[in-house]
Amino acid sequence: MSAPEAPWHPRRQHRIRRSRPRRRLLAVLGIAFGFVLSGMLGAGLYFSPAIAAAFQDFGRTIHHQPTSARSPAARGVPAAAPASIATSTSAFTVLLLGSDNDAKFPSDAVLTQSMILARVDPVTKQVTMVSIPRDLNVPLSTGGTDKIDKAYQYGGVDAAINTVEQDFNVHVDHYAWIGLLGLVRLIDQVGGVDVVASNPVLDDFYPKDLTGSNPYDFERVAVLPGPQHMGGLQALQYVRSRHDDLRSDFGRSVRQQQVLLALRAKAKLLGVADLPDIANAMSSQFTTDLSLAQVGELLPIAGNVSLSNVQQVVLLPPYTSSQTIGDQEVLVPNWSLILPLVHKYFPQR
Amino acid sequence: MRRLAFIVALLVVWGAFGFGINRFLDSRRSNVAQARAVVAPPREKSAFSLPGTIWVSQAGHLYRLHGGQFTDMSLPSATGAWIQPSVAADGRLLVVARSDAYSDIYLVDGATGTLVKQLTNNATRSGHVELNAWSYWPHPTVDGAGVMFDYDGPKVGTFEVHLAVWSGPIGGTLESTRWTTPATYTGGDVSPVPLPGGGVVYASYALDDASQQIVSRIATVANPGASPVYLTAAADDCNAPAVSPDGSQLAVICTSDTQTARLEVIPLVSGVPGQARVLVANCLCASPQWSPDGVSLLYLAPADVSGHFQLWWLASVKATATVAPKLLTTNLDLDATSAPAWAPS
Repeated sequence: MSAPEAPWHPRRQHRIRRSRPRRRLLAVLGIAFGFVLSGMLGAGLYFSPAIAAAFQDFGRTIHHQPTSARSPAARGVPAAAPASIATSTSAFTVLLLGSDNDAKFPSDAVLTQSMILARVDPVTKQVTMVSIPRDLNVPLSTGGTDKIDKAYQYGGVDAAINTVEQDFNVHVDHYAWIGLLGLVRLIDQVGGVDVVASNPVLDDFYPKDLTGSNPYDFERVAVLPGPQHMGGLQALQYVRSRHDDLRSDFGRSVRQQQVLLALRAKAKLLGVADLPDIANAMSSQFTTDLSLAQVGELLPIAGNVSLSNVQQVVLLPPYTSSQTIGDQEVLVPNWSLILPLVHKYFPQR
Repeated sequence: MRRLAFIVALLVVWGAFGFGINRFLDSRRSNVAQARAVVAPPREKSAFSLPGTIWVSQAGHLYRLHGGQFTDMSLPSATGAWIQPSVAADGRLLVVARSDAYSDIYLVDGATGTLVKQLTNNATRSGHVELNAWSYWPHPTVDGAGVMFDYDGPKVGTFEVHLAVWSGPIGGTLESTRWTTPATYTGGDVSPVPLPGGGVVYASYALDDASQQIVSRIATVANPGASPVYLTAAADDCNAPAVSPDGSQLAVICTSDTQTARLEVIPLVSGVPGQARVLVANCLCASPQWSPDGVSLLYLAPADVSGHFQLWWLASVKATATVAPKLLTTNLDLDATSAPAWAPS
């Protein structure tokens, strides 16, 4: 004997009718969510090198030294409030560092072959670049007085930034560090740079540390003069050689600024979709405190800056003078000339 | 069953969508990054045909352009990168073979690519890399019996490396006569071109006291060791001189110590420079070369954002008519520091 059937309740019937559209809606939402998820997965896979770099190389923290620790050179100069964190509209100061990350030194204790202090104003689209000579003899933030290129060797990025801040009495908002191999790969990645080589750059004692097995070995280089398209290695030879230049490090600074501006010209042609290739190329050869998004914001700004709006400063004599201190040749800064010049373009901290 | 099929189909569509997004992003990469791979060897025909034969260098290979058709000269790559051709008096070519540490000048059959003779021997056997030497920019002397060129020897055991203008007989020691004494630690005197009336014109690099930059002036000397006479000002920063076959005009590239260039022509009357005329401004022009009849000019410059140098042609350089330059090649990556050579046949 079967149990009597439950009577069909009108309220239950109504509930079923009402739940059908809800199910359909849920199904449609589920399918749409699947599309979003698969799209994100496709995009995520594409951007995976950039995402990895974003965690590994970007967004590093700068540990600024307190202003009271300023050097004797900067004391007596009234200090202004620190500049605000760079946004897409406010001017900011960035310290560009280039290192010979060859096998001669531990990877975290290399010299900075290039230090360029740059002021970028996104509104007026003006850029000022001051090349700081690597042999400049200054008080280091890590203590003592030595060539400024040793600050990074003694205390990494923070020491390099703090040394520049304390000696030049400026606030550094951001930094970007690149190794030699990173520069080579970056230039190759953007398809080379177009440069007018200002003179024949000849060197019989150019370090063979990127291409050979012995980092103390030498090779000959000859970069011929005139307009040309340079690949990464050739551009590095052009900006790195200094043995046969009457102006020594100053000549090299001028050439470094030329290649930097040539890279800027290529930057305006790049888009977000190029980030994975660039991140791949510069893996472990580049660090910055800027986030990947901020770098993405800066690309069009770099592209909008015309060459006529770029002020290039090299601290030639009388801003500096050569001297032998101990057993090494150094450049002695003339702070009474350098600080007014620098503060003409860079706000004091 | 129908539900299972629906789910499988949905998974396939989702996967295809994700893959499509990935490929779409890949397609949005800029041309500049993709341009790295787009450098074809010059095998295709040029845009139009110029009379005579032209030789150009790309990626260490020497190519012959005749009747609008490029041919690889197939010079041995083990010898070095083949650059800076110039046409010798007998129609053969003087070409530089550049290795990592030294470069040498060779005499080459311009039609077949056969190596006729090695004219310099700059490789050292000492094991000291700095004792190697460079030779660049060879040109036949006016009498056709010798070569005028750049050489950075003999070595003096310092950091200094500078190129000076030398000449010597094709049948003897090429480093016989030193013509110029370059300014120290500047790179030196480069791109020598013999003048039809005797003497040589070249680009001389020196420190400019006013700007504290190393800039170039076009200079000329009548005899070896003579004091140079400057044909352009330091402020113009001109280099890469090319002398017309009759010696009456000088084509130069001037940059005024900037990162842009202009192609100029300077009339020469008895070696005295006249008023310079700008033929092409705001370009990345390099390495001009006159046509054998002295009417038109070839030069190298990029044609697009890739920055790869192409051949451009100015049909006439007469002052009375302004002629727009014509692009002769596309998609090449010619060596901008290697001027084309141009023979009448």
